Amino acid sequence: MQQTLKNLGLAALLALGTASPTLAATAEQIAAAKAEGAVSIYTATDIAQGQALVDAFKAKYPGITINYNDVGTNGAYNRVISEAAAGQVGGDIVWTSAMDLTVKLAADGYLATYVSTEKPSLPAWSDYKNMVYATSVEPIGILYNKNALKPDQVPKTRADLIAFVANPAMAGKVASFDPEKSGVGFMIDVNDLQQTDNFWDLAKAFRAGGGKTYSASGAMKETVMSGENVLAFNIIGSYALAWAKENDSLGVAFGTDYTAALSRVAAIIKGAPHPEAAKLFLDFMLSKDGQTALASVGLPSVRTDVDSGYNLTTISAVVGGNLKPIALDDSLLEYMEPAKRVKFLKMWADSK
Amino acid sequence: MSAQETHSGVARGGGTAVVSGRPSSPPRPMPRPGEALAFRRSVIGLLALAVLAPIGLILYQSFLDGPFFIAKSRPGFSAYLYVLTDPMFYEALTNTVIMAVGMVAIAVPLGTALAFLLTRTDVKFRGLLEVVVLVPMFISAIVLAFGYTVSIGPSGFVSMLARSVFGFVPWNLYTLGGIVLVTGLSHVPHVYLYVSAAMRNLPSDLEEAARSIGAPLWRVGLDVTAPMVLPALIFVAVLNLMIGFEMFGVPLVLGDPSGITVLTTYVYKLTTLFGVPTYQLMAVVVVLLVLLTLPLVWFQRRLLRNSRRYAALGGKGGRTTAMRLGTRGQVIALSAIGLWLFFSVALPIGGIVLRAFVDAWGQGVNPFAHLTLKHFANLLEVPRLYHGILNTILIAVVGGAVAVGIYLLVGLAGHRSKDRASTLLDYIVLLPRAMPNLVTGLAFFWLFLFVPFLVPFRPTLVSLFTAYLIMGLAYGLRLLQGTLIQVSPELEEAARTTGATVTRAWRDVVIPIIRPGLVGAWALIMIVFLRDYATGVYLMSAGTEVIGSLIVSLLQSGAMDIIAALAFVSILLTGAGLGLALRLGAKLHD
Amino acid sequence: MTDASKTELVVEDVHKYLGGLHILQGASFTAERGSIVSLLGASGSGKTTLLRCIAGLEQPEVGRIRIGGKVMLDCDQRLTIAPERRNIGLVFQSYALWPHRSVMENVAYGLKLRGIDKITAARRVQETLERIGLGHLADRYPDQLSGGQQQRVAICRALVYQPRVLLMDEPLSNLDAKLREEARYWIRKLVLDLEICGVLVTHDQSEALAASDNILLLRNGAIVQQGAPQDIYARPASFYAADFLGANNVASGRIERTADGASIRGPNWALDGVLVGDTGEGEGKAVIRVEKIGIHGAPAEGRIAMQLDACLYLGDRWEYRLSYGDLQAKAFGPKALPSGPVWAEIPRDGVWLFPAAA
Repeated sequence: MQQTLKNLGLAALLALGTASPTLAATAEQIAAAKAEGAVSIYTATDIAQGQALVDAFKAKYPGITINYNDVGTNGAYNRVISEAAAGQVGGDIVWTSAMDLTVKLAADGYLATYVSTEKPSLPAWSDYKNMVYATSVEPIGILYNKNALKPDQVPKTRADLIAFVANPAMAGKVASFDPEKSGVGFMIDVNDLQQTDNFWDLAKAFRAGGGKTYSASGAMKETVMSGENVLAFNIIGSYALAWAKENDSLGVAFGTDYTAALSRVAAIIKGAPHPEAAKLFLDFMLSKDGQTALASVGLPSVRTDVDSGYNLTTISAVVGGNLKPIALDDSLLEYMEPAKRVKFLKMWADSK
Repeated sequence: MSAQETHSGVARGGGTAVVSGRPSSPPRPMPRPGEALAFRRSVIGLLALAVLAPIGLILYQSFLDGPFFIAKSRPGFSAYLYVLTDPMFYEALTNTVIMAVGMVAIAVPLGTALAFLLTRTDVKFRGLLEVVVLVPMFISAIVLAFGYTVSIGPSGFVSMLARSVFGFVPWNLYTLGGIVLVTGLSHVPHVYLYVSAAMRNLPSDLEEAARSIGAPLWRVGLDVTAPMVLPALIFVAVLNLMIGFEMFGVPLVLGDPSGITVLTTYVYKLTTLFGVPTYQLMAVVVVLLVLLTLPLVWFQRRLLRNSRRYAALGGKGGRTTAMRLGTRGQVIALSAIGLWLFFSVALPIGGIVLRAFVDAWGQGVNPFAHLTLKHFANLLEVPRLYHGILNTILIAVVGGAVAVGIYLLVGLAGHRSKDRASTLLDYIVLLPRAMPNLVTGLAFFWLFLFVPFLVPFRPTLVSLFTAYLIMGLAYGLRLLQGTLIQVSPELEEAARTTGATVTRAWRDVVIPIIRPGLVGAWALIMIVFLRDYATGVYLMSAGTEVIGSLIVSLLQSGAMDIIAALAFVSILLTGAGLGLALRLGAKLHD
Repeated sequence: MTDASKTELVVEDVHKYLGGLHILQGASFTAERGSIVSLLGASGSGKTTLLRCIAGLEQPEVGRIRIGGKVMLDCDQRLTIAPERRNIGLVFQSYALWPHRSVMENVAYGLKLRGIDKITAARRVQETLERIGLGHLADRYPDQLSGGQQQRVAICRALVYQPRVLLMDEPLSNLDAKLREEARYWIRKLVLDLEICGVLVTHDQSEALAASDNILLLRNGAIVQQGAPQDIYARPASFYAADFLGANNVASGRIERTADGASIRGPNWALDGVLVGDTGEGEGKAVIRVEKIGIHGAPAEGRIAMQLDACLYLGDRWEYRLSYGDLQAKAFGPKALPSGPVWAEIPRDGVWLFPAAA
């Protein structure tokens, strides 16, 4: 099983191979976008991280205002569907880590189809029907407190992790997402369930050991930093790496046998008030310049030719080679079915 | 009129001077002319619209099986069926009741004791304490909760200290008990404010009588003073029960790690449960919450009516002299107040201040080695964040002033009115209080999206302000009505009989007289707008961010450094608002 | 006495209900320019309510009110005029001076509302203030004035725009006794000099007697009796009116008709008196004004032998405490008398006989 996974991961990486030439935006496109003058983004990425992208875009295309709305994953979804219903679409781009919600938006017809000019430079798995594009590859990993754990105590594999959370000495000191409260946490968990064969073993060990669950990765970080929890797993690695860089007491680890990765996905909203600017922005996000800006604030690039921060190749090396990005396909819709969701959460609740 | 006539032509006893054939049952009352009925009714009507529209929308949503704006949503009771058969709902309901009742059980006795000490005794530093004890009320609940996690959370600054002394941390903040304690202690000022107002007016002779026969001070408080303000006590208990049902920030932050849900956070949970926002379930919970609160509103109104009567009876004149505490009493009283202030003010604020200036904390970390200003640099660098700060100031200062103006108009519309519209007013004012602010914000988001003439205002601060206006209505109007009612009716009647129309009398007499009260109300509304965090969560958009809602949205990604810095700014602003209020001579009491 | 051309205020059959209570049970009277009508009664008699009905601050359910010939209230027509359009002045018991306005501004307000230019208004206010000796206080604020000064400002404020009717609600009750006696004099003088129509609400009989031209005695929302002060004092129509005014001796006994009038007798006493109204034989009460009883040291024709129990010194005179059988009585005299038998002279028409029920 692990070997298969590894092969799949390698295949995904090989698929990109060398970067293909990029079709630059034409002068007419840029003029049309500038005529629209603005682009509105509904996002769950907080502005501290988004600012670099915004600044880079402004530098390259002065004269286009960016309305940056950090409304959270549910907020972004809510805005898209309710504005569409009201016939008052106000957003051009939706950019969120809730891959499943965004694919559902696409499937339900709320998103516009657009073949990005950057598509040749992107991996094959990284778009959904030319509507939803991955803009980052963020490995899911472990954040730990260096004062409490030595690097060799940190679990390396799934099996290690199960053993670690089952260790009575660690009871009540391990954190993870609460799939009941966090949509992203839920997505990561069901992805693990689909991609590994020991998800429920981990869940049971974690729940039995009095593991604590949180609705946000930031909250988990705070508890790990303070030592309240020694370790948090299934945390978004891009954040974790940035935190560890700033803070001596934090360390990051990734599963060497299996590391999933989620992507922040972007799409153009159907009926967007600034369609040309939206296309320009989406292309820019996926371009080398845009990806460089994102990578510089710790969102590893989905491209292989980005030099600052991590790119798809280097981040894969960081996690030990077994990077398994969550693919943008219909399988994400599976757990958008209420019945399946409730069934999963019931099993989660019962694993206690 | 002749002398004979007056001497003999008059019926005796209780008879009437002129015998009339009128029936004994009261005839139809005459209309009251010149009462500005058109003004009153249109203001109340507009307000009713602004209050009932969001509530109506939520009610409608609760009877659908999908979002109201999706064409395939069908009417039905499926949402009610789901919620009412969900064990999690009952768990959340139980937790909510425990939290609210526990909070009342802590806040009411302590708040009453505090009010007794500060109004009836000669406790030292009274002038200072009267202001300081209100501080917990003015801090945003989300900021407060965050502050507690940093100070007495499992790895908080104080917890670390305790660990180094005892070898372990003797408390756990993330329990229902912890939530009850935090909310209970932080709501002491709410109780204090009402009870002290009632106690201030009591004449001291009854207490003096009790003291003179040898009752110790605490007995006087328990046996004499407290029973005299019983209506106020019951009133404030009911009020806090209602506040308890609505509480969101503290259980959101403190209940998260151990999975404690109350109704307001249950609403949150419902969303991820189904992956997509399940507005119908959210609406059902809100409707149930309103149903839970409405009897309390009704009960409270009855109490208020009775206690007004009570106040009119007992409130007349009466000199008040402070009872002497003595040295021992002073020490005990001041230590108790100091302890409470330490817990409710110093701990959370201290936690936030520390967290805002360090980039690492917790076990094995010396926070003073990690001092930094970079979180604040962040606030200045990121437009969205400093817009948030500017918008918060704008909406608090300017919005607060406009809101006071509007509350004043509403207050006048119901002022000394016998019209049926003003009874309606009493009820519609209290309705938004029964709805969590988060949902009020969401309902207004929809209104500004789907009501054509409102659409242009959605991306502006106007939409946010409107929601704030309704969110602060119950509190603000009560403040204004309290001020208006203090103007003796004879002052207004004197203007009327001198020749002023009712509106002219308001303009020339009532408003100038209450001007200091209006300034005070402005300062308090300002603080209410500053401290809110839930209303703007759904409403704010690029350029209309506000600090409180930024904190909530940042909690989702967990940028704690920025949250701490924002919380720090929020506390600074609140402090500035409070200082301004006092500077302007605002009476924080009453 | 009645002069239709001088009539300013006509109140006809005014009824007011409050909740289930019938608090005004048909009040009717008229008032004229240059005179004062007092509404006299104990608290709860409805006198203030009646005043507020005239002012338009309360709305009666039944009745008609005309001021200066204009209909202000006609319940049959469902017509009622707002207070500000009734052209009245009202002086409140609390004075109700606006605390945020100076004396000048308080008084000038009515003129300002009537569109009088500032200079004229200032001159008229100053004149009015001078008239009552407050000219030097124009720039003060109400809280800088004494009670008596406040009261005068309140009256000035209600007078300066020359209303048709000046309504005064217990204007003297917040003053001390000496000031009160002064005030009732100058209020009367002012109303007479300015030829306005004054209506004075009071519970104080001496105020009503001294200040008014006409008194309406109210009880439980009804007018018990009305008339000139001398009439109402000298010829009360009911036991209530007789007992309410003046200082009185009250005796209960059995009334019998006699050849030359009537008498009332107890088990061991008897007094000759006059029947008031339609009083007949049977159980009844006698009211004798204290000042009607003369006390003498020697018997004479018509004098009754009584026992003097005690003498109280009142300053300007002495009060005698008398007993006559089981009848207790008071009388006044110029000098102290020794306790023991005395002879009382009570004129027959000083003993008013009323039925017991009233």
